Amino acid sequence: MAELDGPTLLSITLRTLAICGSSLVMALGLGVPMGIWLGSRQFPGRRTLLGLVNSGMGAPPVVVGLLVAQLFYRSGPLGHLELWYSTQAMVTAQILIALPLVIALVVAAVASLDEDWALQVRALGIPPIWRQWLLLREIRLGLLAAVIAALGGILSEVGAVMQTGGNLEGETRVLTTAILMYTRMGLFESAYALAAVLLGLMLVLAGLLTWVQYGERK
Amino acid sequence: MSAALVARELRMVRRSVANCFELEIPYLEMRSSEVLAVLGSNGAGKSTLLRAFAGLEEPTAGEIVRHGQGPVTMVFQRPIALAGSVLHNVRIALRAQGLPSPEIHRRSNEALEHFGIAKLAARPATALSGGELRRLALARAFALEPTVLLLDEPFDDLDAGAQETLSRDLRQAVAQTGVAVAVVTHDLRRAVLVSDRIAVLIDGGLRQVGERNAVLNHPANLEVARLVGMSNLIPATFDAAGLATVDSQHAIPTGQPGATGPGWLGIRPEHLKVDVGRGEGSTIGQGELIEFSSDGLLATLTIAWAGQTLRTHLVAGRGLARDLRTGDRVSLALRPEDVHVLRDLPQGEKEPRLPS
Repeated sequence: MAELDGPTLLSITLRTLAICGSSLVMALGLGVPMGIWLGSRQFPGRRTLLGLVNSGMGAPPVVVGLLVAQLFYRSGPLGHLELWYSTQAMVTAQILIALPLVIALVVAAVASLDEDWALQVRALGIPPIWRQWLLLREIRLGLLAAVIAALGGILSEVGAVMQTGGNLEGETRVLTTAILMYTRMGLFESAYALAAVLLGLMLVLAGLLTWVQYGERK
Repeated sequence: MSAALVARELRMVRRSVANCFELEIPYLEMRSSEVLAVLGSNGAGKSTLLRAFAGLEEPTAGEIVRHGQGPVTMVFQRPIALAGSVLHNVRIALRAQGLPSPEIHRRSNEALEHFGIAKLAARPATALSGGELRRLALARAFALEPTVLLLDEPFDDLDAGAQETLSRDLRQAVAQTGVAVAVVTHDLRRAVLVSDRIAVLIDGGLRQVGERNAVLNHPANLEVARLVGMSNLIPATFDAAGLATVDSQHAIPTGQPGATGPGWLGIRPEHLKVDVGRGEGSTIGQGELIEFSSDGLLATLTIAWAGQTLRTHLVAGRGLARDLRTGDRVSLALRPEDVHVLRDLPQGEKEPRLPS
């Protein structure tokens, strides 16, 4: 295996962004409505669900990876889909890792609203679609926190994506799995180059979101 | 005045782990161009009633019928600012209704001007003080040009001047727009100032509803009398000619002949006169001034008379109010038409507690 070259670095970086971006969008798409629902409703079993979500936040990613890998393994329940060692399996694992974070932070944001907030908006005669938009606007700081937390969890994850993607060159190799691979091979310069890109991405994205969050608070 | 909202056989049951609360309203209507004050102590069900009127809580039984096409809106006891500017807060509901931009601009600007917060239009609503937030909540509600406006304790967080302004604004808005307003309050003075009619809620039950002066001067029972400020409640025995005897020796003409036997005399403090020989009613005897307090505008006199403790008011700093001292003997007078006769008894009591 040769040292890392520029085009390979770019290809791995773009793939990482594509996979992690897809996971983030889907985790938010699923987690935000679930968080709003869980945060604004009272029903039997709600506490149990919240407990599960909170436990999910601390679930070891490698265990999530193991479960997803089992699911998509050739003899697994979804083996017929032939998604073992695919980007789809990686995205599935990353969604499962990010989902509890998104749900928990959205629940916290909704719960922090005044208890009469929803009633006040209804009392103004605002239709349901507008009410949802207003709610998202109201909890936007919590949403940004959810995005930052989910992005951090997804971008830095290595165990689960290794188990589900297999680090296949040109297909499922992403920054974290590539760093692991080059480190094992003793090609530290390549590993450091990848690590620098990963850290840079994290800093730029988290910094951007924090800047937006700070701007909102001012 | 036409009915803008009518509640019939309304029953609302709210159960929690700690207790069960029931609100029962046989019939209550809000009328156009009128302010209905809903008076009651904490936990009487005032806010629950308002939320039911606003359609925010479903009744357990009964119906609430709204007449007219305009919106029904409510301002909460703790006003809530939506994220965004003050202007956004006022305009959002108008935008959601799909009103044309010029109309949204006109209504929002008028409402902000009217409630004196036009200068704060660009400020984040969450940065407003309590009083400013209250005015924003009212501006937001008025901008909707509702046919029914429900205000839950609207005078909280406002200083005396702002309370006066709000009372005046409310009266003006009612006169100009014909909106039907219900004001929930535990503050009798405010209820009297703004209302045309008063509804009295006690422990989830509608005890009395009627024209303001009728409720104030002729409360249906002792509970209502206490709540509407008829603080002089005196056990008495009545004869067929309408003469009430208090403490077996003081005879008070009530001008209300009828049923005989025990009952209560209800006298509003403002109707009990300190007799200075002006012929204001019939003298009922002398009492001893046992307490004198003044808030600078009104002096409250507490007088021991016939084994009872009575209260009356004088304008502070003038005439008698300047000269009276605790321990002074004062003559008391009443007009028969200012005496209200109550036949009911407090819960658990079979007979009025006549002084021995």
